[in-house]
Amino acid sequence: MKLLTLAFWEVVLAGSVRLAVPLALAALGETLVERSGILNLGVEGMMIMGALAGVWAAVGGGSWAGVAAGAAVGALLGALMALAVVGGGANQVVIGVALTLLGTGLASFLFQAWIPSGRQGVGVSPVPVVRVPGLADLPLVGPALFAQNLLMYGTLALVPALAWMLRRSRFGLAVRAVGDDPAAAALRGVATARVRTLTLVAGGALAGVAGAAITVGYLGSFTDGVTAGRGFVAVAIVIIGNWTPLGALAGALLFAFCDSLALHAQSGGVVLPVEAWSALPYLVTLAVLVVTSRRRRAPRALGV
Amino acid sequence: MTPRVPRGLPATRVLRAVRALRGTVPVWVVVGAAVAAGAVLLLAVGADPVVGYREIVLGAVGDRYHLGETVVRAVPVAVVALGVVPALRARVFTIGSEGQLAMGALASTVAVLALGTLPAPLLLAVGALAGVAGGALWALPAALLRGYARVNEILSTLLLNYVAGFGLLWLLRTALREPGTLTTPSSADLPEAGRIPTLLPGTRLHWGVVLVLVAAAGLAWWVRSPRGFALDVYGTHPALAARMGVRPAGAVVSTMLVGGAAAGLAGWVQVAGVQGRLYPSVAGGLGFTGLVVALLGGLRPAGVLGVALIFGALATGAEGLQVGTGVPASLATVVQALLLGGVALSAAASHRRLRRGAGERPG
Repeated sequence: MKLLTLAFWEVVLAGSVRLAVPLALAALGETLVERSGILNLGVEGMMIMGALAGVWAAVGGGSWAGVAAGAAVGALLGALMALAVVGGGANQVVIGVALTLLGTGLASFLFQAWIPSGRQGVGVSPVPVVRVPGLADLPLVGPALFAQNLLMYGTLALVPALAWMLRRSRFGLAVRAVGDDPAAAALRGVATARVRTLTLVAGGALAGVAGAAITVGYLGSFTDGVTAGRGFVAVAIVIIGNWTPLGALAGALLFAFCDSLALHAQSGGVVLPVEAWSALPYLVTLAVLVVTSRRRRAPRALGV
Repeated sequence: MTPRVPRGLPATRVLRAVRALRGTVPVWVVVGAAVAAGAVLLLAVGADPVVGYREIVLGAVGDRYHLGETVVRAVPVAVVALGVVPALRARVFTIGSEGQLAMGALASTVAVLALGTLPAPLLLAVGALAGVAGGALWALPAALLRGYARVNEILSTLLLNYVAGFGLLWLLRTALREPGTLTTPSSADLPEAGRIPTLLPGTRLHWGVVLVLVAAAGLAWWVRSPRGFALDVYGTHPALAARMGVRPAGAVVSTMLVGGAAAGLAGWVQVAGVQGRLYPSVAGGLGFTGLVVALLGGLRPAGVLGVALIFGALATGAEGLQVGTGVPASLATVVQALLLGGVALSAAASHRRLRRGAGERPG
């Protein structure tokens, strides 16, 4: 496949949208969490636990049971973080690092206990792909936008829903108030602890689904370290997306586009080492992080 | 319809229960809880917890060789951890040790292989200096970006870790590759003169452990020095620190460079002290673990050394456990994570107790 053909870019675009789904889901959840003033570095741990739980549940119950299990495990870890950070007042960054460590360690432990190394791995049938009749055959964007699994359409629907909720709803107002000035919000009668607990549970659930979106969404199996730092990338995406749902989606698409380009570029006949392509999405994210660092407005109480 | 915040959520009830525990969680409870959770995991996979923990202890300190392994594992972690303490004390959260360690290992391997004919003491110095330089150089972009452009250091260092990993892979696959290494690419063996001599015969324990003691002593001195104190103040009260003459950019850049240099040194220790050659997984989570150890050690040299030894013992012991009983060695990671979380909670509790105590006194 040559770089300048339509078919090449069709494949790259379809791959970018597929790879963007887990990133966008995790980043949307983290956007909500950070808007309430909590920095959650445990996304990576929540994702990998969701990825494992997803495959485990999908073996018996099918792919949607897997997605639900991912959400449940993520929500549980989110509640755990809320207990430590909101209830116990512990340092958010430290608890986030601990949760990532816990998630990666526990996922590896449970997976090896479930399927000892050397034994045949478990494969599940992924979430079904829905082709929109007619539109899926459009050149270039057809496969990317109209022949994806239902998680992708759900993610797209979640973006305006979350944006509306943050901007217009009462709960969204409470979230923003808590994220900007918890003391003032509390004085005005907002239950700050409850709001932050809820955002952490919801953000955790989304991170769990994001993990399941990798394994149950398209891979069909779990391997140790399958999330490969995507949780941390999601945290970066929240920042380059300027803490808005639409920005999170755009950031996820940018990273996933570079990722997809890297996956397919070798077959496109581009003379660059594989590793340079693999490093590209991280470098591009870093570059955007730098370029946008001046015009950003973080929730004022983020991390406090 | 407007979503409302539901009242009386079960989670908030549990929250209240946790609040009731405030200020009553000493560290030994945390350790006990982590050990108990490990026992639950052992039970969950059908292993006897008593047998399991005996395997861990025997695997960590059961004989001379395993005791050596425990210390060998603790050394790089301790070097990384001691190095990030100044940054963490200044509230600069650098998570880039992983990539800096890889770059230090890379630089020292290249330097030692290139100057392989030098006599031993010189070659050791070359390796160590190249490691320091490689690690510090890799820390430099993130440090400058944080210091002068206010780019979040947690994310920039994290992203650079992946770039470093891919860079290392590329060089090991091409320029540095030793022909004949098929499955995992690795570099040529370092010349004997470039390797850190063994300290304890019959084990892999090397003289690099002395480096840890020197670094710890240096850190202990620095913490008490005026500069160390000023950076402490910068971490908690930036405005006050500015009046003491601390330049924010300078504080951030210098502490991050120290962290990078230490991580790079740890990279050299792994290459020249343990494996004798460069390989793709040289960082292998050491950077992340180093950060955890620094936090758990209370950002104090003695604490860091103690926790590094405990973590080394846990990791070595868990491998013994896996060999002996087939229970996955990642049990150690879970216990480490629980220790970190528990200690963070306990620290928050005692911090609050202190503040409450101060508030009760008149004046």
